[in-house]
Amino acid sequence: MVELRAVQHRYEGRVVLDLERFTVTPGAAVAIVGPNGSGKSTLLRLLALLERPSEGEVLVDGRAAWSGRQRGRPAPGLRRRVTLVEQRPILLRGTVRENLEYGLKLRGMRRPEVNRTVATVGERLGITPLLGRRRHELSDGEVQRVAVARALGLEPDLLLLDEPVSSADRAAAQTLYRALEEERRRRPLAICLASHQLEDAYRWADDVRALAEGRLSPVTPENLFRVELPLEGASGLKHVRVGTVLIATVTDRTGPAILAVPPTDIFVSREPLPSSARNVFTGRVTRLSRPRPGAVHVTADVGVELVAVVTEEATRDLALAPGSPVAFAFKASAVRVF
Amino acid sequence: MDFLGDGFRRALALLLSGDRDVYGIALLTFKVAVVATAVACAAGIPTGFLLATRPFWGRRAALTVVNTALAFPTVVVGLLLYGLLSRRGPLGGLGWLYTWQAIVIGDVLLAFPIAAALSAAAVQGVDPRIRRTAETLGAGPWRAAWTVAREARFALAAVITAAFGQTVAEVGAAMIVGGNIRGATRTLTTAVALYTAQGDFGLALALGVVLLLLALLVNVALQVLQGRGGSRG
Repeated sequence: MVELRAVQHRYEGRVVLDLERFTVTPGAAVAIVGPNGSGKSTLLRLLALLERPSEGEVLVDGRAAWSGRQRGRPAPGLRRRVTLVEQRPILLRGTVRENLEYGLKLRGMRRPEVNRTVATVGERLGITPLLGRRRHELSDGEVQRVAVARALGLEPDLLLLDEPVSSADRAAAQTLYRALEEERRRRPLAICLASHQLEDAYRWADDVRALAEGRLSPVTPENLFRVELPLEGASGLKHVRVGTVLIATVTDRTGPAILAVPPTDIFVSREPLPSSARNVFTGRVTRLSRPRPGAVHVTADVGVELVAVVTEEATRDLALAPGSPVAFAFKASAVRVF
Repeated sequence: MDFLGDGFRRALALLLSGDRDVYGIALLTFKVAVVATAVACAAGIPTGFLLATRPFWGRRAALTVVNTALAFPTVVVGLLLYGLLSRRGPLGGLGWLYTWQAIVIGDVLLAFPIAAALSAAAVQGVDPRIRRTAETLGAGPWRAAWTVAREARFALAAVITAAFGQTVAEVGAAMIVGGNIRGATRTLTTAVALYTAQGDFGLALALGVVLLLLALLVNVALQVLQGRGGSRG
C-alpha cells in the first residue's frame, strides 16, 4: 500500500534514514523495532507523508505521493489514507470530543454520523468519561489513548503508531491492543508500529523489522550492536568489543557498523563444549519468554545481553530457568555486519 | 506646575463639551489606525506564517530584513513616501500626498514589519506537533495554518495590539505625508505636536488623553474578544 523506494532522509546534512525499499502491504501488522535515535520516528513521518524524503520516492498504491509540481505538499487525498499517532501525541485546543471530531468534520461527515463515530471509538478505547475534558486535564496515558481514538475514528487504511504504549500502564496498553485487534477484524487496516520493546512487537505484529542507525537490519532485531570495526584482522577475522566481551566476526569492513548475531544461530548449552565456534561466552539466564508457540527466547547476560531462540524441548532438556548457568556459542561467520 | 493643572482642567472641559475639533481629529486618527492596522495585519500575519513555517531559499535573510525594519525611523519612511507620492514622484499621479490615504500607507509600511516579525515569532512558539497533528488528521495547508493560529491566538492578538499601537501613535510619517491639515489630515499625534509648539498646552493635553483612551479602548476590545474565544486550552 505504502512503499518507500531508495529513500534517503537527511536533517541538516546528516543521514538519518537510508532505506532501499520499505513496504507496508494492505492489512499488514508491521512492527519496527530499534533503539532510540535509530530513525523509527522519521520513518513513520515519511510513511505518513508529513515529510518529503530528501531523496527517493514514496508511493501510495503505486502512485508517487510527492510529484514535482506540488511544492512541499503530497498529492491531495493521499494523506487522508494514512494517520500517524506520535510518540508524545498532542491534543489540539478544545475538548477531547472536539479533538475526535476534528478530522471527521474535515472529511465532511454529517453531525449524526460524527456523534456516532465519536461514541463508538470513545467506548472502544475507554475514553467516554473524558470526552468533555481538555488537554491539561488529562494524564499522558489518557492523551495517548485519546490520540489513538482520534486516529482510529478516521478509519485510515494505514495507522502508524509511534511507541503507542510508552505512557500507558498495563491495563491501558491491553485496552489499546485489544481495540486495534478489534478494528483489524472489522475491516482491512494496516498497522505499522514503532517500538523499542521487542516483546511488544513480537506479541502483536506479523512482521518485525529492525532499524539501526537509519538502516534496516538484514536479520531479526535481537542482538544488534553498534560497533567500531578495527583495521587489523587476519584473513578478515576481526575481534570487536561489545560490552565486556570480544565478538569474532568475518568482515572486510572497518569503522562504524552494526553487528548482528542472529538468535537462531546461537547454540545453547549448560557449559562450554568444544566446537569450531569462535564465539563462546558463559553467563546466566536472565529471562525466558515465549513470544510465539514453539520458540523460547532465552535472554542471558554473558558479558553482554544476548538472546538465543531454542525449542521448548531444548529448554526442558537443559533445565533452563532464570539464574541458571548457560553457555552461548556461535560461529564468527554467523555474525552479520551491516 | 500650575499650567499643568490648567492643562488638565482645559482638557477635561474640552472632552466633556464634545468639542467638534477634538472629536473630528480623534475620529480621523481612529479611522487611519484601523484601516492601516487591518491592511498591515492582513499582509503581515500571513507573511509571518510563511517566514515561520515554510523553508524557502533566503528565509533567514527575509527574517533579518523584517526584524531590521522594526527599527526603521518613521521620518525616513515619511520622507521616502513623500518622494514617491509627490507630484514628480512615480506615484504622483494618484494625487494622494496630503491625504489620509497617504498617512495610511506610511502607517502600513511601519506596522507591516511589526505584524510580520511578531507573528513569525508567535507561530514559531507553537509546538510543531500541532501542525503535524492537524495534517495527519487530514487538514490541508490552510486549515492546518488556522489550527496553528488558534493555538497562538494570544500572541497573535498581541500582534494586532502592537500594530495598532504603532499606527495610532505614529507622528513622523503622518506629519510629512499628511501635512497636518486641519479638518483633513490632522491626527491626534500631529495635532499634539502642533498645539504644544503653539503653546496651547491644554488642547494638546486633551488630545493626548484622547489618544490614551483610544489605545485603552482597542486593548479592552481585543481582550473581550479573546475572552469570548475561551481562555482555556
